[in-house]
Amino acid sequence: MRITLNKPYQQELHVLYTDHHGWLYTLLRRRLGNTADAADLAHDAFVRLLVRPRSFDSFDGTRAYLSTVARGLCADLWRRREIEQAWLETLAAQPEAVARSAEEHASVIQALSEIDTMLRKLPEKAANAFVMAMVLGMTDKEVARQLDVSDRMVRKYVARAMLHCMTLEVGHTVNCNAW
Amino acid sequence: MYEIDSLLDASRTHKSTPSHETLQTAAEWFALLRLGNATEQECAEWNVWLDQCSEHREAWHYVEIISQRFDSVQSGPDRQAAASAFQKVRAKRVTRRQALGSLAGLAGGGLLAWLGWRHTPLPGRAMAWSADYRTATGEIRDFTLADSTHIGLNTASAVNASIQADVRRLHLIAGEVLIRTASDPHRAFVVDTHEGSMQALGTRFTVRQEENATFLAVYEGAVKIRLADTGEGRVVEVGHQVTFTRDTISAPVPADRSREVWANGILLAEDISLAELVRELARYRSGHLGVAPEVAELRVLGGYPLHDPDKVLAMLEAVLPITVRRTLPWWVTIEAETPGS
Repeated sequence: MRITLNKPYQQELHVLYTDHHGWLYTLLRRRLGNTADAADLAHDAFVRLLVRPRSFDSFDGTRAYLSTVARGLCADLWRRREIEQAWLETLAAQPEAVARSAEEHASVIQALSEIDTMLRKLPEKAANAFVMAMVLGMTDKEVARQLDVSDRMVRKYVARAMLHCMTLEVGHTVNCNAW
Repeated sequence: MYEIDSLLDASRTHKSTPSHETLQTAAEWFALLRLGNATEQECAEWNVWLDQCSEHREAWHYVEIISQRFDSVQSGPDRQAAASAFQKVRAKRVTRRQALGSLAGLAGGGLLAWLGWRHTPLPGRAMAWSADYRTATGEIRDFTLADSTHIGLNTASAVNASIQADVRRLHLIAGEVLIRTASDPHRAFVVDTHEGSMQALGTRFTVRQEENATFLAVYEGAVKIRLADTGEGRVVEVGHQVTFTRDTISAPVPADRSREVWANGILLAEDISLAELVRELARYRSGHLGVAPEVAELRVLGGYPLHDPDKVLAMLEAVLPITVRRTLPWWVTIEAETPGS
């Protein structure tokens, strides 16, 4: 991604970084108990400000914003770790061991995390129906049997989940174009 | 069919955002069409909806974007493990929220029982199932008529034959037929299409029913056309091809010999554009096949097996800087290769 920033914002960001990076790093390290993750997330928080510039009117306002962002980033990280762990457990439980490269692991975990983020706010049944439909390519009838609902209901779940994801995507696109 | 180009254009310039209602309609269409279990009528309605306005196409583009998110897990060998891991995580969270029960039976091995990526393509366009001779999409077949005339039926084609004592008639209902007539000085051989009739004055020619037009190429002898509306007649000589509607005949141009080899199951590309090749290939395949504008003009050479369109796509992918994206089994687009992949 190439980002063109106007000069004043570049300076503003520099000030923000000098004033708050150390504080944010300490906050994250306490929360995560891990210096490497804390450094990564502190970095991510500032990348966010770089990608989506915003101005702050006070020192406290800036810290309130950064700690909210940090909370979100921590939650994302934990969710990602959960996915990673579940993935490795699932593989370990498989009868035949298939060798996978680190890249292959990373790419599945990345894809699953994205899907998980997209579907997070959906009700369980709709999310499950969607995953069965999209990942496993199950028909409405097959999903219906698994979830013990009608075929019609499955179609509704799939449409609802798709709409949910599309709405998130549209929102994201609009936000990205706004600045 | 509408053009993928306009869809891609619409997606690139996010000038306006589809309304919530339109997104909802697109999502409902997706849920209905996703495994190709929709009826022909429903598919036609979807096409009409898509054609209506750019907002609809843009909304459908979002369906594509979301579908693509699932590409890497869906096409990989680990999709079942991936789905299980996903369910496991969701189940844990639900447990944490003490909302047990909704996932009973799902979190464990239930999903592992599912095997295989099954799909049925969208039903093809209306076929004359009751015709005397017909081929399915992707099928090329030879038949011998009662008078020993040989006909080769191209993909998704249908003809009725009536061999009488005084005249031999072939009615082309859909698709394309290559005819090698058996010589018979006492009985005329006539092919009828929606736009008119063609009387064989020689032995070998191909007739193709297009949308509101008939294409005729004469490889041996000559063929006399008579237009349905005006009754106007014209003889097309050997080595020429024309297209005619119910009241107009185009000027004859030299017959494209490379087209003739379809009867042998080969699509011969002699320096044609990728868009032209794909337009031809799409006739042998169910579902949508689109080309992004930035690769549409790439030049293509060589012979391609018509009986295996997916193999052709793989062959093209190997030699051209393109990526074949399968958003849905029946929705395939050819795009520029992403750098580094």
